[in-house]
Amino acid sequence: MRRSVALALTLALSIAASAHEKDDRAAAKSLAISARPHLNVIAPAPGFALRDSGGALVRLSDLRGKVVVVAFIYTSCTTVCPILGQQMASLQKRVNDDPLLRGRVMLLSVTVDPARDDAAVLASYAAKLGADPATWKFLRDSPEALTPVLGAYHEWTRTMPDGDLDHPARVYLIDADGQIREIYSLAFFDPRQALIDIRSLAK
Amino acid sequence: MKRILLASAVAAACAAGPLHSETCLSPYIKGLRAPEKVMYLWTLPVGEGPDYLSVIDVNVASPTYGKILKKVEVGSKGNEAHHMGYTDDRAKIWAASLNSNRFFIFEVGADPMNPKLVRTIDDVAKVTGLSGPHTPYAIPGRILVSMASGPDGTGPGGVAEFTNDGDFIASYKTNDHPYETVIKPEFNRMITSSWVSQKTFMSPLDKWDPKDLSNTIDVWDLKERKIIQTLKGDPVPLAARWALKANSTYGYTISNGGDALWQFRMNKDGKFTYRKAAELGKGCAPGDLRQSPDDKYLYVSCLGRGEVQAWDITTPDKPRLHDTVQGMVQANMMHVTFDGQRLYLTNSAISSIDYTPRYALRLIYNGPDGRMKLDPIFTADFTQAPNGPARPHDMLLN
Repeated sequence: MRRSVALALTLALSIAASAHEKDDRAAAKSLAISARPHLNVIAPAPGFALRDSGGALVRLSDLRGKVVVVAFIYTSCTTVCPILGQQMASLQKRVNDDPLLRGRVMLLSVTVDPARDDAAVLASYAAKLGADPATWKFLRDSPEALTPVLGAYHEWTRTMPDGDLDHPARVYLIDADGQIREIYSLAFFDPRQALIDIRSLAK
Repeated sequence: MKRILLASAVAAACAAGPLHSETCLSPYIKGLRAPEKVMYLWTLPVGEGPDYLSVIDVNVASPTYGKILKKVEVGSKGNEAHHMGYTDDRAKIWAASLNSNRFFIFEVGADPMNPKLVRTIDDVAKVTGLSGPHTPYAIPGRILVSMASGPDGTGPGGVAEFTNDGDFIASYKTNDHPYETVIKPEFNRMITSSWVSQKTFMSPLDKWDPKDLSNTIDVWDLKERKIIQTLKGDPVPLAARWALKANSTYGYTISNGGDALWQFRMNKDGKFTYRKAAELGKGCAPGDLRQSPDDKYLYVSCLGRGEVQAWDITTPDKPRLHDTVQGMVQANMMHVTFDGQRLYLTNSAISSIDYTPRYALRLIYNGPDGRMKLDPIFTADFTQAPNGPARPHDMLLN
């Protein structure tokens, strides 16, 4: 009997807690997105010229006039990168579905692990995520070409004991004039907010 | 049935979101996932001489465990070393000077045992229009700093934003004297707590003008960098902490002037309420507030009583005093390790109000039952610091 009462009590508390958490999540969902982002000029975006998975050179300076999103990733990452990949895919769809944005936005995923992420691996990864090369490119290059770019964006890498790579988890939003206007944490990246930010810069 | 339970458990784990950094740091900071090996302690000499970063061995396996290994001087004196903060990538430390309006940026990513001073920003009041920099707080690629007052050390302050490298981005004014900044990224909400102006906190306690004491916390829309609500409570709500669990809508502050623990909570309509949650005891004069990684306990240091209190917050609206530990006069700054098992403690507040010369760094063990025990052996005695007695304040671990 005592056990039944304890069980019922535990269950009741658990249901109450879960209802409370549901409310919390609902509140979070409604507040997480800001319709009026304050996007300061943070710094000039360091320039780069890196190869895409097809071997073509992509220069940041050639993308003036477009809003550019730069994410630093590696394909064997098992923590936040797979979620970010899905979120970037979602962002690509939202951009391509918007006639005012299509052709005015470029998403770039730059690998921090060029040794393992060769052109074929990146191309396969891009295909799995449904990347449309007109909107979303995956970049890599020789370590000689890539290392200074990673350095300019403060993207250090450290090999962990399990062979995984540790690196700063950031996504950069660059305006049509080549200025960094927002830096997102991969862990909290939300494509809905990124789209609002992009629209704000594309006006 | 088993399969359903397993699926629910996996969903809950995923919904819990990313792992946090140490409980007292910005959630954007890369977390330390192993026992600490080194402590950086922002230190000011009691007598003449430059402020410095103490590098302390906290690796239990080391023969120099608990020893001050070196000090990295900042090249100027009278700064009033106070609070510090990591950048989001944990590569740099920003150390703020309460009195001289300077920032010192130390590189610690490349060689954690050997921090290097890489930049000093001298003219913060001129650049930002604000003074009395208190706590540097990381957001992606940038640092926010709560600044107590206007450029001349009086009047309301604000929040200043810089790149991680130290380039100024913008300032945002408030109507009070900001003390700390804490962010809940899931809600796009930031809370700033408050205290007094720079001119006041650099004066002896008997010269503090009661009219200068702030009693407000501000709720910000972080993306808009805009205050959306101001909440009034007891005077001087110093440290503020959000509950750590993803999507938690509540958190706490300590009122130094009211000897009380306050709770802020966001309601379903997005509006916040702010209420006294517990009395800390007359004369506590709380100095710092920290939390356990599982949201079960809050730790409050009592500057006035030389005591650390552990509050059980498993029922968040009804905090309950769970344990206390004595033995450290003027207990003030605390730092809880990533696993919640250890709590480091220092005992200098500000040179203008310190009432003891017995400066030290101590260690408290937090048991699985939430009981605390002061380590009788681990002591870094700052009365015997290199080049003379010094005041230890804020700490970071690596």
